[in-house]
Amino acid sequence: MTDATAELKVTAASDIEVDRDALDQSIKEFAGPNGDYYVNAFHKIHDATSAVPNTFNLWAAVLGPFWSASRAIWGMFWTFLILEIIAWVQIGRGAWGNPGADLAERAARQQDRANELLGRAADATEQADVDRFTKLAENIQRAADSSLEKAQAAQSEALGIMITGLLMLLVFKLVQGFYADRIYEKQYSNWRIDPESTESGRSNRNIVLGAILIAAIGPLIVYKFTVNASLAMLDAFPEKEVSALILGEGQGTLFSTVATWMEAQIDAAALAGGDVFDGIVAGVRSVLDGLTIALIGSPWPVVMLVICVTAWRAAGPRVAIFTASSLAYIALLGYWDVAMETVALVGAAVLLCVAFGIPLGIWFGKSKRAYRAAEPVLDLMQTLPAFVYLIPIIAFFGTGNPPGILATIIFGMPPVIRLTALGMRGVPESIKEAAVAFGASKWQLLKDVEVPLASPSIMAGVNQTILMCLSMVVIISLIGGGGLGKEILEALQYAAKGPGLLGGFAILFCAMVIDRIVQGAFRREDEKV
Amino acid sequence: MTETVVKLTDVWKIFGARAEEAMTAVRNEGIGKPEVLERFNCVVGVQGATFEVPRGEIFCIMGLSGSGKSTLVRHINRLIEPTSGKIEILGHDVSQISETELRRIRAQQIGMVFQHMALMPHRSVRDNVAYPLEIRKVSKSKRWAVSDHALGLVDLTGYEDRLPKELSGGMQQRVGIARALASDPEILLMDEPFSALDPLIRLQLQDQFKALVAQLQKTTLFITHDLDEAIRIGHRIAIMKDGVIVQIGTPEDIVMNPADDYVREFVQGISKLKLVKAHSIMEPLDSYSGPTEGAPRADEGADLDQLIDLAVNTDLPVIITDGGQDIGVVTKPRLLRGIQGGKND
Repeated sequence: MTDATAELKVTAASDIEVDRDALDQSIKEFAGPNGDYYVNAFHKIHDATSAVPNTFNLWAAVLGPFWSASRAIWGMFWTFLILEIIAWVQIGRGAWGNPGADLAERAARQQDRANELLGRAADATEQADVDRFTKLAENIQRAADSSLEKAQAAQSEALGIMITGLLMLLVFKLVQGFYADRIYEKQYSNWRIDPESTESGRSNRNIVLGAILIAAIGPLIVYKFTVNASLAMLDAFPEKEVSALILGEGQGTLFSTVATWMEAQIDAAALAGGDVFDGIVAGVRSVLDGLTIALIGSPWPVVMLVICVTAWRAAGPRVAIFTASSLAYIALLGYWDVAMETVALVGAAVLLCVAFGIPLGIWFGKSKRAYRAAEPVLDLMQTLPAFVYLIPIIAFFGTGNPPGILATIIFGMPPVIRLTALGMRGVPESIKEAAVAFGASKWQLLKDVEVPLASPSIMAGVNQTILMCLSMVVIISLIGGGGLGKEILEALQYAAKGPGLLGGFAILFCAMVIDRIVQGAFRREDEKV
Repeated sequence: MTETVVKLTDVWKIFGARAEEAMTAVRNEGIGKPEVLERFNCVVGVQGATFEVPRGEIFCIMGLSGSGKSTLVRHINRLIEPTSGKIEILGHDVSQISETELRRIRAQQIGMVFQHMALMPHRSVRDNVAYPLEIRKVSKSKRWAVSDHALGLVDLTGYEDRLPKELSGGMQQRVGIARALASDPEILLMDEPFSALDPLIRLQLQDQFKALVAQLQKTTLFITHDLDEAIRIGHRIAIMKDGVIVQIGTPEDIVMNPADDYVREFVQGISKLKLVKAHSIMEPLDSYSGPTEGAPRADEGADLDQLIDLAVNTDLPVIITDGGQDIGVVTKPRLLRGIQGGKND
């Protein structure tokens, strides 16, 4: 055995000496200027056993947020900047603000009126007029007195407000003084763990930044809240003036200019790409027509039977019974045709989502660069409110069912793309390597290994997409989409409670039936693997 | 000498964006691994590997993790392209062949077994074993027959229609071996096949594998980080360290004559009883002057274990014979030193 192990001696915890030198060095390195003070303060904190702070940082108390800014403790800076501004606003209101100003003004007006009335009473010749004016003048005089009293009361409160402000400021200063070193010590601990991203020392940049922030925020806020009639420019953004400055007087606002320009651009694009857009609409329409013929063109008993049997085979007898009763509800209330139109709309949207989404997902799963480029677009497709892209869709594709399907695709496609890509990336490298080692070509690798192993994730994506498409079906009625959504939109426009609710339940049942059947089918698939 | 099946000549692998530049610098300036990392930000995986493996040999490549052994073996079926050097299989340079031809060689001539089994979870055991044949578009009936036969070789008859997840780890690895054997390849590449298994199963599989390979006469490259395993299985062993092959030799060679301190440290703990043979510890008959009357006799190929059995009942040395001819003696001190691993007095 080596000597090092032999010499290793065991020391009881109570006998271990604290090695200060290394720590001092590190604290000095962290603190920069004034290192000795912080070495001392941090040692006091490290040695303390009670929760009461035993250090007081005079400069932190005096300089307040400016100190925390210079030391880059930004959380403390913002907290105490806001608190100190509140205190200063109170002080300002007490010192130079005039809390009773509006009341005093009113009192003066009432006094004038009373004096005027008294004058008229004096001028009046008839006794009745004299009495009437005197009476009025007395009433107004009373009101003026009461206003004056209130104004004086408010004035006398001013001192109280100022004292409250001063007390608040004192408390905040004391808190900062007592806790500054403790907070700075926390920052030091963070700095030890992650010196790269934790600021240390005192930099000129932070001092300047802190000074600018304090100078910009403090005086403006105090001014706005303590002076009775502050500048109008501070109350609302002067967009009209800025527009006039940029565009010239009388040329309209920036908003109207940009909006007009965009409208022209969209119109031009719609005109230029007219054939392309018409082609897309025709393609979507052909898919929709196929589904519509199958669902509405076929005799209703056939469609019902097929749906029920599918439910039974895919998801078992319970779902089949639920499906049958849902279909009965829809048919008995006369929703059969519109409900089938809805199913055709959703079906066409889902078919197109899957047909384009899965290949895209496979591509994004294989190419990191493509996925990085596509990710913001996918985020946009999912987060942009549907109402926003309905407008350009009308411009490019017109109104009716096919544009509705396109809007649905925008909303519904991201999940299947994302989950396919996720599934592709989740296929274990070792299994892919094995297939390649046995001579599989790229296509064989995709067909035999990657897609089968990614399929649970892909199926989850398809299910998500179906649900998203269903939820879009009401919204597309706004741009002329038909089906149950249209019924509900009409009910909404006339505030027709009964029809609205019945239609709503019909959509709910459609959604539940489709979801149950699909989930049941996927679960059976999953059990195989 | 039998036919050479696998031949590597000065194979280098450097990972990184500037591998070519780094390779040139290595060639011209002879810089080492640390300089390559510093100057080109490239990692040297394999440095100048050269060896030949004849038909039917089990060639073990032993090294710790990160020593480049897995990288080296993946050059043989070109899962990894060499930065420089030549790799020949049955006399054909594999770096020159087309993509199609490469796939054919992978499917027909090279079977590979992986540390983590790498079975396809959605296919039955039979379909997993038949996959290399499926890639070659062999008919289904033929595939099934071949895979059932391969499963029979590894004692898995009766499990053909199970899914891999229903099998234990050891059984799954046997499926992996059956898959590698299914296309009746010339070469088996074993990438730490038994490392993830528990010790008893590992011993069992090692013996089973050794017998199987002897029977089928497959040329095998066997990667392991376990020297015991290498010694049990390998006809020859290559020891790798930091991408360099430090020593190539038979198990006895390596244990008795380690090339450097690194290898010496490795073989220290290895039991020599079954490894060291009488001829390597005996002294010549003429230099021995003690009594030999009635001494026990042993063949020169007898191992230490057998010699101990003979020596334990007598005070005399053991006489070593070669083809009935007395050629040397092993005295007690020599025997004891031999057990220690050839330490000199």
